[in-house]
Parts: sequence; structure tokens; C-alpha cells
Amino acid sequence: MKWGMVIDLQKCTGCGECAAACKVENNVAIVDAGQSAMGRTMLWMDMLTIYEGEYPRLRFREIPRPCMQCDHPPCTKVCPVRATYKNEEGIVAQIYPQCIGCRYCMAACPYTVKSFNWYKPEWPPGIRETVNPDVSVRPVGVVEKCTFCIHRLQKAKERAKHEGRKLGEKDFQPACAESCPVGAIVFGDLENTSHRVNHLSSSPRAMRFLEDLGTEPKVIYLKEED
Amino acid sequence: MNRNWINRLQIVSISLVWVLFTGIAVWVFNLIKESLRLHDAPDASVGISIVAIPVFFTLASVLTYVFIGLRKGRRKDVEP
Amino acid sequence: MERAPAPPHPDYPLLRPIEKPGRSFYFIVGVLLAIIAYTGYVYVRQILFGLGVTGMAQPVTWGFYIINFVFFIGISHAGTLISAILRLSKAEWRRPITRMAEVITAIVLAIGGLHPIIDLGRPDRMLNLFYNGRLQSPLLWDVTSITAYFTASTIYLYIPMIPDIAILRDRGVRPRWLYEFLSWGWQGTEQQHKVLDRAMNILMVVVIPIAVSVHTIISYIFAMTVQPGWHSTIFGPYFVVGAIFSGIAAILVLMIVFRKVFHLEGYLKQIHFNYLGILLLIMSLLWFYFTFSEYLTGYYGHEPNEMRVFWYKFTGAFAPYFWTMVTCNFLVPVILLGIRKFRTITGILFASISVIIGMWLERLIIVVPSLANPRLPYPTGIYIPSHTEWMLFIGGISVFVLGYMLFARFFPVISIWEIEEGRHESAKAVTERIASYMPDPQPSSAQE
Repeated sequence: MKWGMVIDLQKCTGCGECAAACKVENNVAIVDAGQSAMGRTMLWMDMLTIYEGEYPRLRFREIPRPCMQCDHPPCTKVCPVRATYKNEEGIVAQIYPQCIGCRYCMAACPYTVKSFNWYKPEWPPGIRETVNPDVSVRPVGVVEKCTFCIHRLQKAKERAKHEGRKLGEKDFQPACAESCPVGAIVFGDLENTSHRVNHLSSSPRAMRFLEDLGTEPKVIYLKEED
Repeated sequence: MNRNWINRLQIVSISLVWVLFTGIAVWVFNLIKESLRLHDAPDASVGISIVAIPVFFTLASVLTYVFIGLRKGRRKDVEP
Repeated sequence: MERAPAPPHPDYPLLRPIEKPGRSFYFIVGVLLAIIAYTGYVYVRQILFGLGVTGMAQPVTWGFYIINFVFFIGISHAGTLISAILRLSKAEWRRPITRMAEVITAIVLAIGGLHPIIDLGRPDRMLNLFYNGRLQSPLLWDVTSITAYFTASTIYLYIPMIPDIAILRDRGVRPRWLYEFLSWGWQGTEQQHKVLDRAMNILMVVVIPIAVSVHTIISYIFAMTVQPGWHSTIFGPYFVVGAIFSGIAAILVLMIVFRKVFHLEGYLKQIHFNYLGILLLIMSLLWFYFTFSEYLTGYYGHEPNEMRVFWYKFTGAFAPYFWTMVTCNFLVPVILLGIRKFRTITGILFASISVIIGMWLERLIIVVPSLANPRLPYPTGIYIPSHTEWMLFIGGISVFVLGYMLFARFFPVISIWEIEEGRHESAKAVTERIASYMPDPQPSSAQE
């Protein structure tokens, strides 16, 4: 099993629904305006601004950028305490109680996907009661990033086991894929021929960011049709 | 402070050096065992660590050599 | 009851700071302790509130702490390395310098080694490094090599100190128990001298590869990532050269300070400064060679991400720091040290301070630009160090000065017994050595 994601840029409108859904699902801390201006915004799913063309034919678009979940992650190589590691199903996971906050993985990631808890996360009044109970709230001083909603995977596996069946494509979908209003984000098992990502990943429009670095990211983008 | 106390303190301090370096060696071996168990691709890292351990013991040996050598080289008429 | 005054010693200027510390000593120690206490308070705030009190953010997630880590460990190099190399090459002019150099290494390594801990988001979990450390990470290699270097340099400082400690013990200097404890029964017998010599010979050889490995491994922290500006094979030797460079500058500054404060004009003479000044000049040229190679290679390849970092340093936001660094590390030392008229003690002082500043800037230029220019199209990062980071920097320097002052208060900063040995035995040993270089005399029957 190798979990992967295909993001169809032809369908994506740059609405940012995936980013918001991810933040809510994973209890990602909200930082105040001053901190955000410094660059401490915490977004597991970030919206990348891509500029194309030159003035006056300039266009820009926002595309979703989760953790690339590389098969050869540069971040896990350098972690001194094994707080980030790649599990057997290809998800690059974080172990929050293990992280010592050295931020080496943040410096090593060529995609700059990781976030850090610079302060203890504080929640605006009322929001603290609505956090997702399935996801741990991280303490100060640890690194975090998109985990392909691995908590949903755990719940799906337990349910499937309880019902005595195998995991299907619809059983486990991360919050971003589930929330996308146009279905631009498709998620599934790259090695399972019955999952859509399996076909989409070999589409002629498929591309990966920074492929020449050899990181083998499992987030595949489908370029816009001409 | 009388001579005996100082003597004992000196012997304790040199033993502590050995305890420390043995501790470091044990720690490095533990880490190598862990990385082999988890298939964490040690290779070069193991090499580096394996070189480090003899270095520590060389240092401890030199220090002990000086310690013992200076005691032995004392004139016989002075009490130890 | 009045203790009888100790007998006069030919090297009394080296003993006076220990036997009769002036009042200014206590005053300066007081000021330093105040600075360090405030730094401690600032650090406790960081532990309580988190690293948010610093100026770091995404993408510049490493700042002053890592810069100072590399900087302090860099300065440690000249100590043991210079004293080991000068001893190995039997350079007689090393005698008043070796002790000062070795003390720099020991103190600055301790300070530098603490900096990664200051940088941790969760220092309370530091023991995770020991329970579940990953040997594959360059940070673990660092832990090992810095520990090895620290122990090696402390031992390499201590063993040649033993005869001097014995002198202090025999003169009855207070606290007597300290010198008794540390002198390990030294009496200066021939056998003891042999033991000491042999130990020092082994150590001075062992210490050199350890010292070289330390800064090489620190460079690997950067070089082992794939980030533009970091992933360069030249980093290992580049860092070692830079470290020796900054270390020699530090020794020179300390020599000049102690010469003034302790009135050591008789021991630290123009020729010592001349030789070390020329060494500093050579290191400046070497540093320039490595820097030039690094940037020319990057520029010629013209890889887009490398070029972004390149222009950021050359003409972008970091241009003032970059060109100041080149001036401080190359232009100023070459002019002040290359032209004999300027190679006075004052000139050397200016050149050394310039190099220390320049090398700190070099660490800044290595760490921040690569982080500030991520590969994916994010806005360029901005890093403004906060009060906490500045105070910890000043605190680190204060700890260094305090440590050095405490050392100078209890132990001689110039090796008394090695000076004595130099006076009595060096001239003969050197004459014999030079005679052995000369060609053998022709046998008389070969002459026509």
C-alpha cells in the first residue's frame, strides 16, 4: 500500500477550501496577525502562488501544496531523534512527543512544508472546545506537518477490520480531498489498480515538483490542459 | 586539606574519566544496535561512530598513563 | 599570622596576576556576572514561552543560535590546532602562545557546544538524543565529534599545565588544596619529565585529526542537505580553513590584551606577533581562495536556485553583509598584514578584530540566505534577530571572557616551565638540529 494524492490543476479554482478544512481537521494552531506577518503562519496545506507569463499577460494562480510525502524524504534523513520517519505505507509521519525542536528537518525540506510551534498554541474563545478529538494538539516547540490525515486511516482500518472487509477507496480520504468542491484532489492507494490515483498518476499531464532532486514525492499534479 | 583526601579525590577523578568514556562507548553501541534493528541505513554513520570510540579510549589511556607515571616517577623519600 | 613571602621567581610577571590580582579584576568579574545573570533571565523566558521570543520563522528557521554555534566552535580551532602544529613542527616561538591558545579552545568549545541546546524547541527532551539518537543524522556526528574534541583539548590543556601547577603549589599560592590536587605529585624528576613528554607527543598527534573532523562535521550539517548554497563539496575544507582563520585572529587579540594588562612585553615580543600575523595573512589568502572557488563554481553552473541565493548575497538584501565580510576577511587583513609598515601590534590588532567580525558575518551569510530563498515560489524570508538572540550572543561572549579571566586568575597564561625549558635547552637543541640539516663535510681525500 502506498498512499498518494493527485491534484488536478485544470479543475482547481484556488478557492483554498482544502487549506481551511485541513486546519480545522488537524487542530492546526491559529497565530495572531503579528506572528503571521513574521512568517509563522501554520498551514499544513498551503496555497502556493504561481506567477505565469510576463506583464501585461501576467496571470497568477493559487495551487494547493500539502506535504509531498516523499518516498526518499530529505527530512527523515537528518532528524537526530527519529521524530519524523516514513512508515510502511509511505506516509511520512511525525512523532510529536519525540521531537526535540531542532528544526533540522525544516531546514532540509526542499519544499518548505513543515511548520513549527513557536509559541504554545492558543485558541480563540470557543474554538478550543471544537478541536478534533482524534488528533493530538501539539505542544510548544515541536515540528508538525501534513500527515495525509493518518488518524482517519487508523479509524478506517479499525472499522474495516471490525466489519471483516478490506479497505476501500472511499473508506479513507483526507480532509482536503473530502472538502474540495470540484473534486480536484484525488487520494488513494497508488499501488491499487482499483483506485483512481493509480491511473491518474500515469496521465500524460502528470508532473511532480522538484523531481530532479530525487525525493520521489507522492503528490502528483496534473498540468492544465492546453 | 590533608594528603589522603587529595589522593582519594585524584583516584576518583581519574576513574570518573573512565566511567564517562565507557558510558559514551556503550551509548554509541546502543545507537548502532537500534539503527540496525530499524533498518535505518547506518553504513557511514556506523563507521564514524566506530572510529570515535578508540579515540576516547586513547585519550583516557594517555591521561591514566600520565597519572600513574607521575606517581611512579616520584622521589622515594617523599611520602605518597 | 603572616605567611613568609614566596621567593622571587625569574618569571614573576607570569605569577603576579595569580598571587596579587588587582581590584579591577573583581570589578570586571562583577560586570560580567551581571550580564550573564541577565542573559540567564532572558533564556529562562525563552524556555517558558518557547522559541517564539526569537526572530526566527518560516523559512528562516535557523538564526543566531546556529550562527554562533558555528562561530564559537570555529574559534576553538586555532587553539589546539595551532599549539599542536607548532609543537609538532618544533617551532620554538610557540612557547609563550600555546597555553593561551589551548585555553581558548577549551572555553569556547563548551560555549559553542551549548548553543545547539539553546536552539532546541524542547531542551527538556534533550535526553531523547541519547536514548533514541539516529546515527545517520549529522547532528549526532556533531555530538560525538565535539565531545571528543572537548575532552581531547581539555586533556591537551591540562597535561602541559601540570609542572606550572606544581610551581604554584610549591610557592604556597592559595587555594593550596586545588594545586595539590591538580599537580598529581609532580616533582620535576627526570622520569616524570619523560612521562609528560611522551604523553604530549601522543596527544599533539591525536588532537589534529580530531580538530579537523570537528569543523568538517559541522559543515556537514549544511552540506548534507540539498539546499542551494549548502549542498557543496567544498564545505568541509572551507569550514576548517575559516575556523583556523578566525581562531588565529582570536589568539592574536587575546595575546595583545594580556600583553597590555599583565605587562608581558618581555614574553610576547614583536616577533611572535610578526609570525602569527603572517600566518593570519596566509589564512586570509586561503580563505579568499576557497570563497572565490565556491562562488565562481556556483555562478558558472548558473543553476537557477543557486543563482537566486548568489544574487541575494551579491546584490540583494544581504549585499551589505557580504561585501563587509569580504572587506573584513580579505581587504583589511591583506593590507594591514601584507605591508610590513602596517604590521605593527596595533595594525595586527585591527586586522584580527576585523577578521573576527568578518568570520561571524561569513557564518551569517552561510546560514540565512539559503533558508531565505526556498526553492518553491514563496516570498523571500526575512530574519530580524530579537533581543533574546542578541543577549544570548553577548552572554556567550561574556561567559568566554569570564571563563578566561577566571583561568588567568588561578593559572599562568604563559607556560612557565616551557619558557624555562626554552631558555636552558632550546638553543642547544636547535643548533644541533640545524647542524644535522647541513650537508656532511667532504672527506679530505676527495679534495684535489
